[in-house]
Amino acid sequence: MNVPWLTVVLLLPLAAAALLQVIPRTAVTLLKALTVTATAAAAAIVWTLVATMGGSPHSAGPLSFHYSEIHQWIPVIGATYHVGLDGISAWILALNAGVFVLGAILVSRRSTDRLKLFCGLLLLTETMTAGVLLSVDLLLFYLFWEGMLIPLYFLLANYGNENRGRATVKFIVYTVAGSLLMLVSILSLFFAHGVASGNLSFDLTQLLGGGLSKQPLVIPWVNITTFTPEQWAFLGFAAAFAIKIPLVPFHTWLPDLYESAPVAVLVFFAGLVSKLGAYSFIRFALTLFPDAVNTFKWVLAALAVVSIIYGALMALSQRDIKRIVAYSSLSHLGFIALGIFTLNVNGINGAVIQIVNHGIIIAALFIIVDIIEQRTGTRDRHELAGLERRMPWLYAFFLVATLAGLGMPGMNSFAGEFSIMLGAFQLHPAYAVLAGLGVVLACWYMLRLHQGVMHDPPQPRTEAVGDIRPAQGLVLLPLVGLMVFLGVFPGPVGDVTQLSVKQTTALAHGYASTAGPNFSGLGPVSPGGQP
Amino acid sequence: MTVLGVLPVLAPPPGIDILGLLPEVILAGGFIVLMMLDLVTAPAQRGWLAVVSVVAVAGAFGATVWCWFDAATPRTVYFGAFAYDRFGLFINAIILVSTALVLMITPQYLNRRGLHYGEYYALILGAATGMMLLAGAGSLMVIFLAIELLSIALYILSGFNRTEPRSQEAAMKYLLLGGFASGFLLFGMALIYGETGHTQLTLIAAAITNGGGTVDPLLMAGIALLFVGLAFKISAAPFHTWTPDVYQGAPTSVTTFMSVTTKVAAFAALIRVFSYTFGEPLIYDRWKIIVYFVAIASMVVGNVAALRQTSLKRVLGYSGIAQGGYILIGVVVLTPAATWGSLYYLASYAVANIGAFAVITVMANRGEDLDSYASLRGLAFRRPYVAAAMGLFLLSLGGFPPTAGFFAKFFVFAAAIGAHELPLALWGIGTSAVSVFYYLRVGLLMYTRPQPDEPSYNWSRTSLSGGGVLALTAAGTLVMGIFVTLVLNIAVSAQNGIVLHG
Repeated sequence: MNVPWLTVVLLLPLAAAALLQVIPRTAVTLLKALTVTATAAAAAIVWTLVATMGGSPHSAGPLSFHYSEIHQWIPVIGATYHVGLDGISAWILALNAGVFVLGAILVSRRSTDRLKLFCGLLLLTETMTAGVLLSVDLLLFYLFWEGMLIPLYFLLANYGNENRGRATVKFIVYTVAGSLLMLVSILSLFFAHGVASGNLSFDLTQLLGGGLSKQPLVIPWVNITTFTPEQWAFLGFAAAFAIKIPLVPFHTWLPDLYESAPVAVLVFFAGLVSKLGAYSFIRFALTLFPDAVNTFKWVLAALAVVSIIYGALMALSQRDIKRIVAYSSLSHLGFIALGIFTLNVNGINGAVIQIVNHGIIIAALFIIVDIIEQRTGTRDRHELAGLERRMPWLYAFFLVATLAGLGMPGMNSFAGEFSIMLGAFQLHPAYAVLAGLGVVLACWYMLRLHQGVMHDPPQPRTEAVGDIRPAQGLVLLPLVGLMVFLGVFPGPVGDVTQLSVKQTTALAHGYASTAGPNFSGLGPVSPGGQP
Repeated sequence: MTVLGVLPVLAPPPGIDILGLLPEVILAGGFIVLMMLDLVTAPAQRGWLAVVSVVAVAGAFGATVWCWFDAATPRTVYFGAFAYDRFGLFINAIILVSTALVLMITPQYLNRRGLHYGEYYALILGAATGMMLLAGAGSLMVIFLAIELLSIALYILSGFNRTEPRSQEAAMKYLLLGGFASGFLLFGMALIYGETGHTQLTLIAAAITNGGGTVDPLLMAGIALLFVGLAFKISAAPFHTWTPDVYQGAPTSVTTFMSVTTKVAAFAALIRVFSYTFGEPLIYDRWKIIVYFVAIASMVVGNVAALRQTSLKRVLGYSGIAQGGYILIGVVVLTPAATWGSLYYLASYAVANIGAFAVITVMANRGEDLDSYASLRGLAFRRPYVAAAMGLFLLSLGGFPPTAGFFAKFFVFAAAIGAHELPLALWGIGTSAVSVFYYLRVGLLMYTRPQPDEPSYNWSRTSLSGGGVLALTAAGTLVMGIFVTLVLNIAVSAQNGIVLHG
């Protein structure tokens, strides 16, 4: 059986989006059914692929892939259509498929203005994000990375509250500026490799050796020594990814955008799109620029710690519950980034696990916040109280999500955060201590939020609200179930990621070693990851 | 030269020279036929003139395709006056396709605006003939004559709306500044001729190479003046001041035509003359500085000025200036990759820009062109497909993948970085980031629901031909952004085929 499954995963949502165009605008049910079916079918394929991929990859090399497809694309410049799935992209792709099903279900439960446009854009976004996760060729990756902004732009600009215009333009311009810097870096790398090796290629597996000069650049006339070309190129990538994650000085687009975006967009935007920066850092920046990464890891890890604490403090100072969740997301993304910059197996493995975990948690939290806002008409923490008695089911779901969000042992994000902390400790204990402060603050704002909204005597606005409908419960149930399940059995994620993480870490160190203690969450350490 | 040299008709031709001009001859024939036909065509039947002109263009396109295979070994014809090579034919193809697309949206627009006169079609074909001659010009004299042919036709066309002061102003402005530019061009040619003793490009190149390492200031002055003359035609800053006014004042179908084809043809001449005739390192080092700064000035001025416009036609005018700056990167950098990058850029610019202007043309109603920002608001709610196509064109102009514009920018920036001109690429990239603002602003407006108290605009219904043009250009934008090799291979072989020796 030789079905190019990865291409199917890429093209399925696209084909569905094309099919949507022939359905009349008034056939609302059909539009919704098609969108949900297409995303669910893509999810079924992806999950099957991930579940059956096992521990050992099919291709050899310093970066090995379990599934890959390669075709000529633009031979003149050596660009290829090279897509691949390995342990790092596998679970994130599974998350990707999941959050888009969630988005499709959420939009089909609402009467959305211009539903057809929304569904089409949602499906296009899925193609683009899946493309980012699957691309091995740098030009192809850039194509999806930048192309992702098109459907996102129309989604964010068309749907959401009245402030969305400004927030969207801010986000797009920030991202484009970062991406263009990355394009320069890609091109520099491409030419350096072309000169050094004599063949033109954008393929990550070909470019691994680098080829960029490690001699410092000197600005002529003024004789100021600056970074080496390799370091400059790394900074181009770092700018693009740091904006997307976002790390603290580049984060200003995030709170505004999260506040204005509708929940059906947020589940996949906060759940996945913002994780693509972290994923791409692991996939491309660490492997292509090992020396530069090792030079800058202290600064980047420091930025990550600043993000953790800044996000947590901002979350503490908000009244708007949606903004609290948005800032908590910033804080948690800082954790993921910290894991990456530790450059050891524990940290990176933790980051990958945490990308998946946090995607699940943040999607659930935004859905819960949206339900609360729908029922009570407010997002002000001070006007909300006593929902526990009115909405016992929501209370239960929110409780699990809260506990998972603050990294409670037995919940999914504990495994990831613990692994990241372990890695941070190996890098330098100070990072672990400061990051630990972020966990303490997370307990504070999450528990305060939960207590304030749920306990206390009901306020006028919360007097007459009813509990969530069964359908809403059915949306939340799998998310909450996963939080508990992955908390108790973190093995499945860790096992698959392990080998790929080791390979990436080895590349990031520039030597073939998998130094560092072996840890893959709380579960038993599986030898399945070894080739 | 003997008497036979003076009377080439009597001399046995070296090869069959007329083949080299076949597409131009067909188009010029169409031009004359249309002039005649106009005299006997009833006003109500003038739509048929459009059909005849499209047939002429199709014939010329067929000839171009045939010549493409015939011109596998490039040569010059008519004693070096005209280059018969794939480079020129590639440009011909862009010009002819653009012309056909413009002709398809024209009759409806002219009828609505009450301007349907038969001369229009003849003039369009005349201008296109001039452009094709310019693309293949192998001699300074042919360059000048071709530029005059296309310019005179365009002067009349931009003043075609005779009753509207703005259109008259556009024509007058274009005429005066264009005449001024022609003066520069001619003076530059005279100086070059005086220095080298030749008007043929191949002989000029040989004379410079044999000059023995010295550069005469008068030659440099001639080259600089020649560049100024061509820079007017590609509307590069600081010679761009006529562009927004003329684009706004001229009838939109004319703007659609001239904004693309003039630029494409003039760039062809620019590349042929500068990259391939004045490519001698000694001279290149000097003119490079001029073109370098004109490129940067165009990118900056075009993109920054576009931010403050409120008329879509003017925005596209300024965006065209900026796009010209990006293509100039491909002229500054002398590598083959830069040349085919520029060719790819020209093709992608043609597709997206024709599409964008076609949207304005198609939407125009009986009284006026609807090109203000206010009139765009909410277009997506009433004309979803038109708005989606417009969004696609804007994204392509802004350089977003997976559209043609991304790869166009990618190839020229890549060529610049590959030739160690990183600062040029960085200027390009910085200004591209700025351009995202105004392209997206237009996109945002189309998708903003108009307030109940706002005036509702009476957008025209999209006709079959108008919709066809939008569909074709939209498809082209996407195809060139995904299946890149289709056009790229042709562009590369066009670059390879450029004639270097007489």
